[in-house]
Amino acid sequence: MSNQFRLPEPYGLLLDRKRKVAFTFDGNEYTGYHGDTIASALAANGQMILSRSFKYHRPRAALTYAGQDSNSLVQLPSNPNALADREPIIPSLQITAQNYSGSLENDRDAWIGRIAKFLPVGFYYRAFFKPKGAWEIWSRFIRKKAGLGIIDKAHKPEYFDKQYLFYDVVVVGAGPAGLSAAISAADVGADVLIIDENAILGGSLNYARIDANGTRTGELRRALTSAVEKHQKIDIMVDTICNGWFADNWLPLINGNRLYKTRAGQVLLCTGVMEQPAIFRNNDLPGVLLGSAAQRILHLYGVKPGSNAVILAGNNDGYGVALDLLDAGVNVELIVDLRMAPEFDEIATTVVDHGIRILQGHAIYAAIASKGNRHIRAVDVRPIISDGVCSDKSEIIRCDMLCMSVGFVPAYQLACQAGGRLDYDDEKSVFTLTNLPLDCQVAGSVAGLWDIDDVIDNGKFLGKLAGSADQVLIAAKSTTDKKISSTNYSWPIFPHPKGKEFVDFDEDLQIADIVNAVHDGYEHIQLVKRYSTCGMGPSQGRHSALATARLVAKETNKSVAETGVTTSRPPFAAEKLAHVAGRAFYPARRSNMHHRHIEAGAQMLHAGTWYRPAYYGSQDLKTTAIRREVENVRNNVGIVDVSTLGGLDIRGPDAGEFLNRIYTFGFLKQPIGHSRYALMTNETGAIIDDGVACRLDEHHYYVTTTTGSADSVFHNMLKWNAQWNLDVDISNVTSALCGVNISGPNARTVLRLLCTDVDLDRESFPYMGIRVGTVAEIPARIIRVGFVGELGYEIHVPQHCGEALWDAAISAGSALGIAPFGIEAQRILRLEKGHIIIGQDTDAMSNPMEVQMDWAISKAKPFYVGGRTIVELKEAKATRHLVGFVVRDPEAPLPLECQLVVDNSEVLGRVTSCEYSPTLEKTVGLAYVPPGIASPGKQFTIKGTGGVEIAADVVMLPFYDPENLRQEL
Amino acid sequence: MKLLNCPLNGPRNIAEFSYGGELHTMPNPTMCDSREWAEYVFFDRNEAGVVTEWWMHNASAYWFLAERNTITDEVVRTFPASEMFTERVDSINADKA
Amino acid sequence: MPKIENVAPTNFSRRSQLYRRHVAAGAAFTKASASAVVAAYSGEHNEVHCAAMLGLADLSSLPRIGFKGSDTTHWLEKRIPRLPSRPNLSKSQDDGGTVARLSATEYLVLGNLTDAPSLPAALQDVSIDSSTQRVYPLPRSDSHAWFALTGTYAPSVLAKLCGVDMRARKFANGNIAQSSLAHINAIILRRDLGTTTCFYILSDTSFAEYLWDAMLDAMAEFDGIPVGILALRALENGISE
Repeated sequence: MSNQFRLPEPYGLLLDRKRKVAFTFDGNEYTGYHGDTIASALAANGQMILSRSFKYHRPRAALTYAGQDSNSLVQLPSNPNALADREPIIPSLQITAQNYSGSLENDRDAWIGRIAKFLPVGFYYRAFFKPKGAWEIWSRFIRKKAGLGIIDKAHKPEYFDKQYLFYDVVVVGAGPAGLSAAISAADVGADVLIIDENAILGGSLNYARIDANGTRTGELRRALTSAVEKHQKIDIMVDTICNGWFADNWLPLINGNRLYKTRAGQVLLCTGVMEQPAIFRNNDLPGVLLGSAAQRILHLYGVKPGSNAVILAGNNDGYGVALDLLDAGVNVELIVDLRMAPEFDEIATTVVDHGIRILQGHAIYAAIASKGNRHIRAVDVRPIISDGVCSDKSEIIRCDMLCMSVGFVPAYQLACQAGGRLDYDDEKSVFTLTNLPLDCQVAGSVAGLWDIDDVIDNGKFLGKLAGSADQVLIAAKSTTDKKISSTNYSWPIFPHPKGKEFVDFDEDLQIADIVNAVHDGYEHIQLVKRYSTCGMGPSQGRHSALATARLVAKETNKSVAETGVTTSRPPFAAEKLAHVAGRAFYPARRSNMHHRHIEAGAQMLHAGTWYRPAYYGSQDLKTTAIRREVENVRNNVGIVDVSTLGGLDIRGPDAGEFLNRIYTFGFLKQPIGHSRYALMTNETGAIIDDGVACRLDEHHYYVTTTTGSADSVFHNMLKWNAQWNLDVDISNVTSALCGVNISGPNARTVLRLLCTDVDLDRESFPYMGIRVGTVAEIPARIIRVGFVGELGYEIHVPQHCGEALWDAAISAGSALGIAPFGIEAQRILRLEKGHIIIGQDTDAMSNPMEVQMDWAISKAKPFYVGGRTIVELKEAKATRHLVGFVVRDPEAPLPLECQLVVDNSEVLGRVTSCEYSPTLEKTVGLAYVPPGIASPGKQFTIKGTGGVEIAADVVMLPFYDPENLRQEL
Repeated sequence: MKLLNCPLNGPRNIAEFSYGGELHTMPNPTMCDSREWAEYVFFDRNEAGVVTEWWMHNASAYWFLAERNTITDEVVRTFPASEMFTERVDSINADKA
Repeated sequence: MPKIENVAPTNFSRRSQLYRRHVAAGAAFTKASASAVVAAYSGEHNEVHCAAMLGLADLSSLPRIGFKGSDTTHWLEKRIPRLPSRPNLSKSQDDGGTVARLSATEYLVLGNLTDAPSLPAALQDVSIDSSTQRVYPLPRSDSHAWFALTGTYAPSVLAKLCGVDMRARKFANGNIAQSSLAHINAIILRRDLGTTTCFYILSDTSFAEYLWDAMLDAMAEFDGIPVGILALRALENGISE
């Protein structure tokens, strides 16, 4: 028999009964309807138990049918910890229960519950952390028992995405307040988005009872939802969770695989309330559920949750539940009303008229379980003597379900994230939310309103204010009194000598655990949470925060208001990392010649955001390839892509003065057609960049920067001139230009074939000269610079002509054997020449004196950034110098960057660069060492890989061509 | 995410901006003593209250100033740097002779 | 469609960073200002129809130029009749081109979609005396790649990549946003073609391949495809077939 507990229409608002859906749960086949959740479809087939509890392995069924508790966590094939009362069934879905050994019905680990008294709060902290190291051993066993669900490692990635949304007003929650608010906000012209985590609009109007004959909610729902659906200015998103509130009304809305980053002018939180369980022995048994949960499963899913009910009421809502159950053909055996002398409303009076037995001033002292705690069998009802205390006069009433209607907590989480303060009136058991920003307000029951007409009026009123963004009125309204009423019974907590009165179902925490945490000295609510783990489970204290606060308040002789609740941080509900990650974005920069490198067999690497060729050839021949590239530059001619270098045009009458202030050198008297080394320091005197400054004409300098620093140098320059107001323009032309460096003794020969309008003779175009002409008929800036220490020309052309330039140069040099070289070869070549790389051979503290660059500092000019500090540093005692060294033993392992220079156990410095030099046929490098061993002839020890000590001799820089003959050829 | 009102581009997500540090006034680098200079280079006032800060809108490389309350994180005002720096600084040595 | 003279991108020294992708997608190219621009791609699609729904075109080969400096507004006023009155606004010009104002003192001049002479070329040739005029040309043809995102779904695609509200009623024709697009800086300006919504997107040339791929990925859910310049010309001339 299937769907034997299903009720006929109109029950089952969410169901499409024409579409049957077959699925399996723990290997058994079930059928439900489209629109069912896993939990509702199982309940319709009589399967109530969904999981075993985290600690004691007790059977658990859905408590809320609203996806708000962890009792309903199940395993989907590629998704552990899915909420069975939220997850829809889909055809052939294979669901398994979690956290049992053996079977869900007969869990071999259920014995743990019987030793609960030996597992007091803080047990793990106290039992397994001594002696030192014990946890490492214990954790292996404990971890096996802890944790829920299984990760599917074979899971195929899915496409998750993000999207921005913008609205004048976003209404969170589509119950009566939210729907009313959306309509009135849209009516005054605002663009409105209304979202709800459920599959349809309506909120409590879909299941609650607000009148005796049970028709009013349906009428209101149809009227409000159709008005919202028809409204041109309202967008609707259902099945959507607002998982947090962030600054300036920034809301992450999750729907399916997409995260909507939503910016709202005004936010209205109509998030409603969450019903709370009563705390008594065995309050976790399957069959014990919230009154609203019974109403949800009846009305939304058409499932009869039992046949013989007892209702525990602390308010009149319990009587509405009774009427709903009676209408559905469920026998209501008894209503246990905690109140001594309740004020009955129309609904409760109707229940009395039905002749239902009602016991006032009574409590459920304990629920009584069937074998193995699998279901509720009866309740032990006793008179209340005082708060939480019952007399011994017990009456056992048989039942197969128990509905709890004892009070509600506002869904305050988003409001508190927005800055709202949650207060509690201990006298009246009423919550209030105050202190909200003017552009984020609460409406409806979350604001403490209970009467349906008040809720709708409040929604309409605030909706209109939000729609017109009338902050003056909003401010005024927050000072007016609202008709706040309470449905909360003040103390629905009944300790039992045998325990198992669960405060937190996620973590299996009982009354004694909270009380003992306080007695152990953790008196603050935040400490109680961390010590006991109360509220740290998947439901994040949604059903335990109030009870915990009440217990802690009582134990510490404070009010609940003083005790408060723990901070509510985003995310509100569990979210996947994939939602946070979204699509993968890896912005990468390519020069115009990029594909020519690939075609030439280059191994590309990431240099900052750029792709650059490391070397050309297969990976197994890396060393040979790099060496061949080095030798070809030294002996013939090579070509390297230098497009990644930054380029800045500095133009205007003050261009020279500006450079004078920005760089350490002097530039005012720099001749046109000449380039000059440019070293940049910051105000602490540390080196931050270098390049060459080329003077193209009186008012125009072209400055290069290191790869990766173009933006920061550019921004730094703009910031300085925002203060100086010099008559100068600073433009970043990095990507406008693409460049190559043709280097080697045959460089001029190659360039002559490409360039006829510039006199390339050594005398007329000397080292450090710059010329403007054409290369391969492409307009070009040609600079005679030599980072690698050979005759070389850097040719900068418009970016889109880069590939054409490359082709022309390769073609022109082919007869000579021109070959491309990558940055690996370039690093060796520049090291042989003793040129430093900023950021590799310098750190955030390196000043020019330390790296032997005093020569790059102008002593004549009055000011440059960092100048004053450098004066101070020069007077201070030097602590280190960057020196060149040669590894003494040719067989020694290659020292690596950042390996230490040591003297026995004392750290003296570190290696910054080290390579085998094919040209010099020895290993050379740069290292920071103390002044005492910084002069040529001194020696030091490097602690190499594996602790090998490597002897090194300090030598004069550069290693190669100290007379600079090669680059001036 | 917080919004910041760029004087050139209007209100934008704060992720579109770079922080440029507190606004400091440089003492005369040739006249001031070492302590004064060191405090200028290394110390932020780090006040609890309204401070003036440099911010840059990344996409337009536009620097501006913001007055921000460090207690509430409220940005009181943003304005172009030209409102504060109106004159050409001819000589950094002469400004405090 | 008019008959086009097919050219190869490698016939020219100036080549879009993306020409290999266009070739691989079966593009036919036409000449535009000493470079090749995609005329149309091979395939079953009616590109004009697709572009009206959602298309992406690479206009990087077309001419454009920037100017900035304190005298720029005054200098351009004498050369361009319709100058945008405030920053982050653009105006269409008689030659079919567009002038965008990026700040009080900076402008971007975009050419038209034909191979006919256009403003950027004319302005490029004007010599400026740097000692008397604070007008500094900017090599926007090379510093920035230029894409056009067209069609009904274009704002929806931008909503996945950019944190600025670009829905039609909030971001009118002519509006400019300098913002972050797919995590890189970009200038996005709305420049409708006839009655079809169109956004010109300019971003750092070196990111062209990254951005092209990121945009096509974002367009996939709306069935957006690359389109050639012929489809754009047709939309601009009001041919909606």
